[in-house]
Amino acid sequence: MIRHPVAAAQTYVLVWIALLVLLALTLGSAYLPLGWLNGAINLAIAVAKALLVMFFFMHLRSSHYVLRIAASAGFFWLAILIGLSLSDFLAR
Amino acid sequence: MPPVADAVVLSRQFDDAEQQRSAADLGIWIFLATEILFFGVLFAAYAIMRIRYPEAFAVASRLTSVSLGSINTGVLLTSSLTMALAVRATKLGARKASIALLSATLALGIVFLAIKGTEYYLDYRDHLVPALNFSHPGPQAGQVEIFFYMYFFMTGVHSLHMIAGICLVGVMIAMAARRAFSTAYYTPVELSGMYWHLVDVVWIFLYPLLYLVSRS
Repeated sequence: MIRHPVAAAQTYVLVWIALLVLLALTLGSAYLPLGWLNGAINLAIAVAKALLVMFFFMHLRSSHYVLRIAASAGFFWLAILIGLSLSDFLAR
Repeated sequence: MPPVADAVVLSRQFDDAEQQRSAADLGIWIFLATEILFFGVLFAAYAIMRIRYPEAFAVASRLTSVSLGSINTGVLLTSSLTMALAVRATKLGARKASIALLSATLALGIVFLAIKGTEYYLDYRDHLVPALNFSHPGPQAGQVEIFFYMYFFMTGVHSLHMIAGICLVGVMIAMAARRAFSTAYYTPVELSGMYWHLVDVVWIFLYPLLYLVSRS
């Protein structure tokens, strides 16, 4: 009956610690002279943090696949929006 | 007023509580998808401008307050933890814990806005507010100003969402205090939490794009 399984409080605290560690990593790495890698690392860490929040805090980990599709839909159209816009600007 | 044991408020268009909850889950994700696209336009504009003016964006990003921005990121991530724990407490029927955790979330949200407001004041003091008092030495001034247009628009719209979230959490505290939730009915808290976390996700992307472009 309970479709929203109640996760252990520990799990949430661990996810929070992971998020703060990733925050420290992204801040620290920004001060290393890595050229274009700086931006790539920052984005990769942001994606990792967003996935942690969505999978654990927003329960996508235990959600029905229909919900995962709905959650992906926004990002899918966002990818089209940014992808097609940049295909113009990057090709000029 | 005696508490009603695990009463579900069932709207008449639903067959049962299970179906009602599924509809709420799907509905909030559809709404959040529109929010993703709403902010998405700003991210797309940012991407185009950064590709066109990479040097100016590097210069401009160094003018933001990285310490306040980083602290605020920590504050917001922590508020997501207290929010997730508040939803969990509500589901378990722990009313007092739920109210305490929701209040912590509300307080952290206000701290975030206070720090953001401090930043805006510092930006104003440093003549970084476009159309108001912007001035920047050098030939790239116009392009640096474009960065700050993006900065104020993106963080401003995000702050409006924070204000909406804080109001929502305030309503949840009042409802919890009136014993509106039970182990069988907690949808409003659940959905407010989803909204709060999505606003957090938006900030997770704003932080490196605005504060960490070129620090090395």
